[in-house]
Amino acid sequence: MTRRPTPLLLAAAVLLSAIYLFPLYWMYVTSLKSGSEVFAYPPTFLPESLDFHIFAEVWQTRDMASFLWNSLVIASGSMAMVAVLGTGCSYVLARYRNIWVDIALFLVLMLQVLPASLMITPIFVGFSALGLLEYPRFAVMIAFTAKAMPFFVILVRATFMSIPGELEEAALVDGNSRIGAFGLIVLPLARNGILVSAILIFMQAFGEFVYSKSMIQDVTLQPASVGLNGFMGPNTVEWNKIMAYATIYVTPILAAFVLLQQRIVSGLTSGALK
Amino acid sequence: MMKRLYSAVVDGKGFDILLVGLPLLFLITFSGLPLLYNVLMSFQEVDIFSLGSLIRPFVGLDNYRALLAQPEFWPIMWNTVIFVVCSIFGQFTLGFALALFFDAGFRGASFLRGLFLVSWVMPGLVVGAIWNWILSGDFGVLNYILRATGLISENIFWRSDTDFSLWAVIIANIWLGTAFNMILLSVGLAGIPKDLYEASELDGANVWQRFLTITIPMMRSTIGAVISLGLIFTLQQFDLFAAITSGGPANSSNVAQYWAWELSFRQYDFAKGATISTIMIITVMIAALLYVRSTRHEVRG
Repeated sequence: MTRRPTPLLLAAAVLLSAIYLFPLYWMYVTSLKSGSEVFAYPPTFLPESLDFHIFAEVWQTRDMASFLWNSLVIASGSMAMVAVLGTGCSYVLARYRNIWVDIALFLVLMLQVLPASLMITPIFVGFSALGLLEYPRFAVMIAFTAKAMPFFVILVRATFMSIPGELEEAALVDGNSRIGAFGLIVLPLARNGILVSAILIFMQAFGEFVYSKSMIQDVTLQPASVGLNGFMGPNTVEWNKIMAYATIYVTPILAAFVLLQQRIVSGLTSGALK
Repeated sequence: MMKRLYSAVVDGKGFDILLVGLPLLFLITFSGLPLLYNVLMSFQEVDIFSLGSLIRPFVGLDNYRALLAQPEFWPIMWNTVIFVVCSIFGQFTLGFALALFFDAGFRGASFLRGLFLVSWVMPGLVVGAIWNWILSGDFGVLNYILRATGLISENIFWRSDTDFSLWAVIIANIWLGTAFNMILLSVGLAGIPKDLYEASELDGANVWQRFLTITIPMMRSTIGAVISLGLIFTLQQFDLFAAITSGGPANSSNVAQYWAWELSFRQYDFAKGATISTIMIITVMIAALLYVRSTRHEVRG
């Protein structure tokens, strides 16, 4: 390829990124506007004054501590369940090549594609018959784990496949048991891939909506996504407050993403396609 | 006996079977069984009283007949097709264009490309809330930009005009999915040997010819996988509907996957919800088969 003038391309790339990320910018700017500035025409692209106390106000009036705590509980629980169940599964599916592995892989791929909004009907009816809805956050964790585990397995399996089998064989020859070789040799080598995939699952679970909306009736147990949904009535005018809510909700995820960006991107691309 | 079992688990086939068996059992219990239960419910009469019981009266194909007879059935199915086709088309073309642009390989390209993925890691409800506000009729910034640039002269009421409500969700969904398409297509582009382009350039092929004779054929399996993944993700999209239009006004932006939820959890008609879910799940499964086919060379090694 012929070399092209880098600064020009870089400028174009920054411009494209700015256009793409404008919705995010608009969320932050709107959250800093006063109630009347929100409806100014023409809209202001920079806030007239920086007033951060709206965040404290929204935090208080919308009871965000409770919502975010529930999101955190659901996301941590789901991530732990997915990681514990999914890691061993991905390891075995990466280690062998036979008809059973193909069948299991096919099953996993098939179950990955079921839309949550379609699965919630039988899950809700089934869980209510089993009495699981008495513990609604746990019910959401189980449903979400079943939904998210296939994605995790596909990503982590790619990680395990990139680890040379000779390393494990050498450990077995040295007298390790299968568990020993797995725990001492293979798992540490796959740690980064597992960690990145688990973080992706956490992020998805942190934003989970369908299952929580359908299965958690008690407001004190609902996550932030359901809280945001309840905040947005059809004729709402409090857009600066809604955007402040969204800002508080999404900023930690964005910060984690920017910090881990390169790893997340490479983890994602190694698994989903090859 | 116990000892043999123990040593099999620690050091033999039992270890593998345990590692893969538990998760599969979990998946079959909480994903596979609900799937079958869903099909079963679509042939049953389900009301709020029989919700807790597993045995209910069978009604044959009555649910399917009743659903098909509802006047909104075909419009909603048609909306689903429009939503899926237009979302995938938009995400794919924009994603491909961006992937080609970032493939030029300049300093900072991979960092900026990675930033695009924020749209993908954000909670769907937040993305929906932001777009709901951007697309607001009187005070939305999109209408302002379109008017300022002279593209429209009257405000478009994206969310409340029946001609535009579906497009409001499609726009948001294209924004949401473009980054993911771009990243996956970038991987495919990076896999094309650069000397192919050089050889072709020496032969006098122009940019457009090189794109058609090298890029597209070399990317065939990536494109297949990206489009089928797009189909799968688009049919899973629910949050944007909940956050932007709620399927309204008058079902003008309703799609099958949102309607199924509405039937079950707004109208408490779980049998109809299960019926539409069954129809859609079969559709999604067909899409998944296409995806598995396009990645098969990887699965089989």
